[in-house]
Amino acid sequence: MYKSPERFPLSLTRLMSAVMLFAACGSAHAEKFTGVGRTATPREIAAWDVDVRPDFQGLPRGAGSVAQGEKIWAARCASCHGDFAELPSVFPPLVGGTTRADIERGRVAGLAAASENSKTTMMKLATLSTLFDYIRRAMPFDAPKSLKVDEVYAVTAFMLSLADLVPADFVLSDKNIADVQRRLPNRDGNTAAHGMLDIRAKPDVNGKDCMRDCPVDTNSLLLLPSSVNGLNGNLADQNRPYGSIRGIETRRNP
Amino acid sequence: MSASRRAGRLSPAPENFLPDQLLEDISAKGLNASRREFMRKSFAVASASLAAGSAFAASDHPAPDGDRVILQPNAHATRLGNPVAHTPYGMPSKHEANLQRRESPGLTRKRESSISFTPLQGLFGIITPSGLHFERHHAGWHDIDPREHRLMINGLVSSAKVYTMADLMRLPPVSRMHFIECGANSAMDWGSPAVPSVQYTHGMLSCCEFTGVPLSLLLEDCGIDKSKAQWLLAEGDDGASLTRSIPIDRALDDAIVAWGMNGEMLRPENGYPLRLVVPGLQGVCWVKWLRRIEVGDAPFATREETTQYIDLMPNGLQRQYTVIQECKSVITSPSGGQRLLNKGFFNISGLAWSGRGKITRVDVSVDAGRNWKTARLESPVLPKCLTRFNLDWEWDGKPYILQSRATDENGHVQPKIAELRAVRGRRSVYHNNAIQSWQVSAAGEVMNVQIS
Repeated sequence: MYKSPERFPLSLTRLMSAVMLFAACGSAHAEKFTGVGRTATPREIAAWDVDVRPDFQGLPRGAGSVAQGEKIWAARCASCHGDFAELPSVFPPLVGGTTRADIERGRVAGLAAASENSKTTMMKLATLSTLFDYIRRAMPFDAPKSLKVDEVYAVTAFMLSLADLVPADFVLSDKNIADVQRRLPNRDGNTAAHGMLDIRAKPDVNGKDCMRDCPVDTNSLLLLPSSVNGLNGNLADQNRPYGSIRGIETRRNP
Repeated sequence: MSASRRAGRLSPAPENFLPDQLLEDISAKGLNASRREFMRKSFAVASASLAAGSAFAASDHPAPDGDRVILQPNAHATRLGNPVAHTPYGMPSKHEANLQRRESPGLTRKRESSISFTPLQGLFGIITPSGLHFERHHAGWHDIDPREHRLMINGLVSSAKVYTMADLMRLPPVSRMHFIECGANSAMDWGSPAVPSVQYTHGMLSCCEFTGVPLSLLLEDCGIDKSKAQWLLAEGDDGASLTRSIPIDRALDDAIVAWGMNGEMLRPENGYPLRLVVPGLQGVCWVKWLRRIEVGDAPFATREETTQYIDLMPNGLQRQYTVIQECKSVITSPSGGQRLLNKGFFNISGLAWSGRGKITRVDVSVDAGRNWKTARLESPVLPKCLTRFNLDWEWDGKPYILQSRATDENGHVQPKIAELRAVRGRRSVYHNNAIQSWQVSAAGEVMNVQIS
């Protein structure tokens, strides 16, 4: 049961509060929550902290050749991504759409006109660390983290060769990966100069709060095409079956 | 069913079913193809609705001497019901089974890396029931044993630490309501209307009360190096070990390392037993099954912010780290794919939200954005939380186009789709916060349309 502070002289209570406050501020962080959490061991950190940054901080030592990568690719990757990382039917295509001119320029010209479905990973990729990091942590899709570090280098090398960034006899390693980064076709294709990172910034597009006789372009009217009717199932079955608002029967005209 | 029962339920006359302005425009400019389609559909639906009207009218409209359900004793009122704890974990009524999370066809080929949408068309207030919270997984979900779960904090801290769930749940918690919206919500409609209902246009949106410990408190506990810390990496414990960079000012502001959702533990699909809650930021930043936070001095350029969740601009440049969800709203009732069965009073109701703070105003138009009325905001109105709005409306059986437009406390106003396209083009995927238009036909059918 809670004991009343009246047991202590007021000044003593105040003094204790002050001491506790001082302890909380003075000792920075360490003892504020006694017994909560523990120091991570070096092995634990090494086991989980495998991310690789664009400056290659965190990159593990290792190497893998295009030829090794091709074998792993055929066994572990091709069923989803296609023999040449071009398959668009399971996941968006990985390789294609980049040119020698893009490699020179550092910007993929095709992005300016590409549709969402024709954009490949290699067109979008500005940082090679991202590709390595993602394959290591998340691929293959059905058995993530099953590739050894050298195998991750090899698969990465094979993809780079498919994109004509490295020759067929190339061996990718922690020593030369930064050189390949300097050849990535879209290495200068990203920008963080926009209003959607800083919460105090302004949106790039702002509406108008007009209330009366506001301009409306009736020529801009676009309708849901009738061809989608029923694609999302019968909407009558996706709304309550009672009340004055119901779902439309969308399998009426199959 | 007698003819008298049907009277007043539907507008039988398809003539005069276009708004006056639209009629004027058509006579001035002729009919283009889309308007022809609009008229054809409106007319056809008006006729079809009349024929279909009898199917569901029975219980709503009483016989001349009174309503059967009043005049005759109901079975449930004349016998014992089920005992307590019959269903130890309660379930919704069997009559509500239509409102479920649903997938949309053609979005993905692997259901483990896919999306299910929240049925916003049937929800009330601002809280999403836990079982209807939208799903977006990148490598499927697991039901992780909380006794085996750990959170590691490392990087630019004086002491890298490991916390068990028991450790975290000993700490002083906060409980706050926030919306979570996938950056790709409304993506399918960037080019033109593509999906039929608000479940699919806006259903990558949920709002819950989250309980957890402020992230700032944990970072202090590990001795974060504030002079160098600029970004965090948040990492999940799923197959993808999904990672995302979080800017330090968001992390130290109102982010929560959360285990609770709507008063109970997180659902496995939503990150059980631990997820990051980063109010106002796109859903992919709210890393589920959170296992590690690394403090760094630069962003990490993970896959989910380098080749995905980037915004391709018309000049071919890609915007990276577009984390904030802008001011947005949508009418959820009536909404696309629904049908008004009768003329008369309806309450237009919807949701508004902003990743930058509180909603201060929502305006509603029934004439495609020509004239607007300010809607009621239902309480509570909280920062970075869904706000429910509503407005009374008499439907007279004529066609209308309904829209809502939100304004947040920074004075940011939700834009029209044409205003977004003018800056970002039509090929964008993420961050579509355009005003949504729902066309109500003379038959009462509501269709997803776009007009600016």
